[in-house]
Amino acid sequence: MSKPTQPSPETRVNENMEAIVALERDAQLMLNVREGDDTSFGFLLERHRGPVVHFLYRMVQNQAVSEELAQEVFLRVYRSRETYEPTAKFTTWLFRIATHVALNSIRDRKKEKGHESLDESSDEMLGGLERQVADRQLTIEQEMVRDVKLREVRQAIEALPAKQRAAVLMHKYEGLDYAQIAKVLSCSESAIKSLLFRAYETLRDRLAHMA
Amino acid sequence: MICLSKNEQGAELLAGYLSRTLDAPRMAELGRHIQECADCRGLASVWERLDEFAVPEVSPGFDARLYARIASEDARVSWLSWRRWLWRPIAPLAAAAAVVALVLGFLHVPGTPHSAKQASKVEIEQVAQAVDDLDLLTPIDR
Ligand SMILES: [Zn+2]
Repeated sequence: MSKPTQPSPETRVNENMEAIVALERDAQLMLNVREGDDTSFGFLLERHRGPVVHFLYRMVQNQAVSEELAQEVFLRVYRSRETYEPTAKFTTWLFRIATHVALNSIRDRKKEKGHESLDESSDEMLGGLERQVADRQLTIEQEMVRDVKLREVRQAIEALPAKQRAAVLMHKYEGLDYAQIAKVLSCSESAIKSLLFRAYETLRDRLAHMA
Repeated sequence: MICLSKNEQGAELLAGYLSRTLDAPRMAELGRHIQECADCRGLASVWERLDEFAVPEVSPGFDARLYARIASEDARVSWLSWRRWLWRPIAPLAAAAAVVALVLGFLHVPGTPHSAKQASKVEIEQVAQAVDDLDLLTPIDR
């Protein structure tokens, strides 16, 4: 696995410009939806379907549930089209809805079924996922090692308190910055910094023996 | 020394290092320290371990399912607005009838504090849910 390299200042400027352009595009698309342009909703769905479903998948670790929750997220986005005002980054707002939906679902599932059934279904799911992402070039032994490591990471993430889990997933996989995560979770930026640090420390301790 | 675990700014430094947004001298200094410090190396390696968490492809029928739900919701909304429109001329009469029924109910049936309490609990939950949804759907200030 390659070590991360520091981007040049030019790269960072370009990335920032791209982010600004993306912000305007998303907000504009949503405003078009407000005006009754359903094609723009299709574009938004196309751009954000993957990130939202993947975030929810890593939150609840079950494909069927994550897609059901993602449907709920996009349905809420569509429902709110008439009142939408672009006062925040669209992504921040979208992940606020996604996080809220995920936290509610985790809470309800714990209440209704207990934790075990969720573990069962995610283990069942894991088999399918492993086959789906399997690189056919790997030897059986390499596949087994990879599966064990994947399971470890999944379990370490699942064991985090739900809010920490959401923060790590948004930070690590979805590229949200502290300010965005703070808005999603209704915390201060400094609270998010220490929450993330605690979460990474916990993950380090849980994954230490596999390093 | 720039050890993350012994630094008040540890969280910021780690995240800055992990997301590669620290300035070049700090990136280099932290990079050197990480080579020597097992604790910090562990923290930095978490980032790479998390890359192992692969996700499945979104199901092909995802969009179709969503659009079907939107269509059925749109149909329901338009039926509701029709019903509201039809209901409008007789609404004041119906409201008056409801008030009369309520008053009669109070006069003739002994009080049922338990069910009243239950009803108000349901009502509070519904309001809380609505407020919750409203908050969610209100874009946040930048
Ligand atoms: Zn250190």
